[in-house]
Amino acid sequence: MAGVAGASSVAEATPRDPSLPGAADRQRAAEAAGQRAMLFDSTLCVGCRSCELACNKKNDLGRTPDVIFEGRPAEDARALAPDVYTYVTFHQWEADPSTAAFGKVQCMHCIEPACVSSCPVHALHKTELGPVVWNGDICLGCRYCMMACPFLVPRFEWESRNPAIRKCNMCADLQEKGEPPACVAACPTKALRTGTRAELLAEAHRRIENRPRRYVHHIYGEFEAGGTNFLHVAGRPFDELGYRRDLPLQSYRDYTRPAMAAIPWVLGGLGLALGAARWVSDRRSAVAEAGEDGTAHDDTADGGRNP
Amino acid sequence: MKPAAVLRLPVTRGVSVLAVLGAIGLGLIAYRFYAGLGAVTNLSDGYPWGFWIGMDILVGIALAAGGFVIAGTVHILGGHRFHPLSRPAILTAFLGYCLFIFALMVDLGRPWNIWKALINWNHASPMFEVSWCVMFYTFVLALEFAPAVLERLGFTRLLKWWEDVTPFLVVAMLTLFTFAMTDSLAWTAGIATMLLVWEGLMRTGLMRRDRQMPVLLIMAGIMLSTLHQSSLGTLFLITDKLGPLWYTPILPLLFLLSAVMVGPAMVIVEATLSARVLRHKSEGRLLNALGRVMPYLIVTYLVVRVSDMLGRGVVLETMRGFWPAVWWWLEIALLLTAVALFATAEVRRRPWGLPLAAWATIAGLVVQRVGVAVVGLDVPEYPRYVPHVAEVLITVGIVSLGLLAFRFAVAVLPVYETHRAPAPPDAAVAIAHPDRTLASVSPA
Repeated sequence: MAGVAGASSVAEATPRDPSLPGAADRQRAAEAAGQRAMLFDSTLCVGCRSCELACNKKNDLGRTPDVIFEGRPAEDARALAPDVYTYVTFHQWEADPSTAAFGKVQCMHCIEPACVSSCPVHALHKTELGPVVWNGDICLGCRYCMMACPFLVPRFEWESRNPAIRKCNMCADLQEKGEPPACVAACPTKALRTGTRAELLAEAHRRIENRPRRYVHHIYGEFEAGGTNFLHVAGRPFDELGYRRDLPLQSYRDYTRPAMAAIPWVLGGLGLALGAARWVSDRRSAVAEAGEDGTAHDDTADGGRNP
Repeated sequence: MKPAAVLRLPVTRGVSVLAVLGAIGLGLIAYRFYAGLGAVTNLSDGYPWGFWIGMDILVGIALAAGGFVIAGTVHILGGHRFHPLSRPAILTAFLGYCLFIFALMVDLGRPWNIWKALINWNHASPMFEVSWCVMFYTFVLALEFAPAVLERLGFTRLLKWWEDVTPFLVVAMLTLFTFAMTDSLAWTAGIATMLLVWEGLMRTGLMRRDRQMPVLLIMAGIMLSTLHQSSLGTLFLITDKLGPLWYTPILPLLFLLSAVMVGPAMVIVEATLSARVLRHKSEGRLLNALGRVMPYLIVTYLVVRVSDMLGRGVVLETMRGFWPAVWWWLEIALLLTAVALFATAEVRRRPWGLPLAAWATIAGLVVQRVGVAVVGLDVPEYPRYVPHVAEVLITVGIVSLGLLAFRFAVAVLPVYETHRAPAPPDAAVAIAHPDRTLASVSPA
């Protein structure tokens, strides 16, 4: 819990700082503290792609090691595909061509995911343990999750007659059994770690505090988009590693929440207003008719339909 | 007019062109289901929505707004003189929704799962709201149009049964809808009670009761339409791919206002087109009256549209970039043109005046909706999306089929009053003066 406590104490120190999340998001983050999470440490990653290989094998993605290890530098989330759930991005700098740094792209397993809140049928949902998984039995293929996801993660099988939404599910089945995700188990340098979100957040804070000149002082995923279950620390600014740095600190569901909450008010308000308007217009035409011929309106009981 | 003469659908050049376009569309749709969405679209993982969402769904649903706008004007606001326009408007709306559902089936990756939205409820999802609004409002439109069909077939008994049952169907529907949207028993009970109170007031004679078009049915149509039109805007609130000229927290309101604006414009276009095709006199005086209201509706939308941009401080975006800026100015220019045309009495008097102004309005709306669904979307990581020719042809094909269906329906069904078969004298009165045939006493 140390990490969460640390985060909230920072937030309390400067309560009006717009670079810190609001109360609702902190509350949700506190609730997610015990969920399964992952931590990626870019400074430990050597770019070996063992995680990609393990993921490919675990999820039967059907790619050969040759295809995976073939040199193809990728910089952002575009490299994800129906048969690529995770990807190590490669970055070099002209000023210092002898070094390289790596980023990791896969589903961030947000605390309150945009895809889950947008899916009309709960085909995408967040399990109790934390992974965000897809249920093909009820998915309509509307692709709203893809429109909503700020990390551009869900992939669609465009060439398929029965297309699926494909993305990392944090090896939800292994997690149920208490085992680590395949990519974490495969990582030879421990750049990937698994644990509860609180444990990993505390670990990330500890690493930054212990080696303040080695790390950028930011935990990617601590607050982004309301916080994610996949946390990242790095030795280079995250935007240089292919990460989006323009994300809001609130959950994406907040953008549709007010409109959705207005529904019953619209129904009730319209119901009252329309009935009242009808009453008024009826009274008005009744009065007009009474004025016209001195009698009340025509009282034909069956609407004059049946002579 | 003899039924035989009414039933014949002449194979004119227009009809055969539509049939060919429809056939091309259907062929491409068959190929899409064989080879997948990627084979006929330029959609990608960065631009998962495109031309179909823009045209078939955002535009299609907006153009069907004539149904609830006219029905509300006639049956709620007491604009009984517009009654002759209400059936064609409802028919257009109904056909529009059927087309929309058909087009949606083409766009969905797994359309066979569509009914599962009835069972798996996600109260947080605007798409859930959209899917329920589509299903329920289509049903409401079918109920609203049913009398025309029953009249044509002469099923008097069934028509009477429809009159008795419809209000309760509506109450049941809206109650279920409220529960699905809110998951709150309090709201559900509240809405159900309110509806039952209105119906009770009408059954006890405290309010006028219109047996031929139950008020609750009209109310349900307006309530569901309001939610549906606005929820299409809500859909885009969660995406951060939409540019500042289109993305605004009040997008749902803008979608509703522009739908209300385009509804009467569609009615004008339909009425003048049908008058030409069916060679009957158009409802000129009524259309002129609609035309006089139009400037207010369009200006309302424009004021909200522009003041929202002022409030968000993005006015200078209209000068930046090429396509988004051009597209935005095109929307505003078309709508201003429409206002000018509608507001000029001299133009309204010309036979081409009202249709031209209405088309300008429709074009403005199309530009706005396509702006939201295609032009305004920007995912820098991916190459820009430009619709595939097959996407366009499929939409053209579906619209052609819809026009054929409308042509067939107005030929067969008593849609336009000048076209209706001679009815018994009482019924003729009922058609000409619907306000005089309201049953104001309790049937009991």
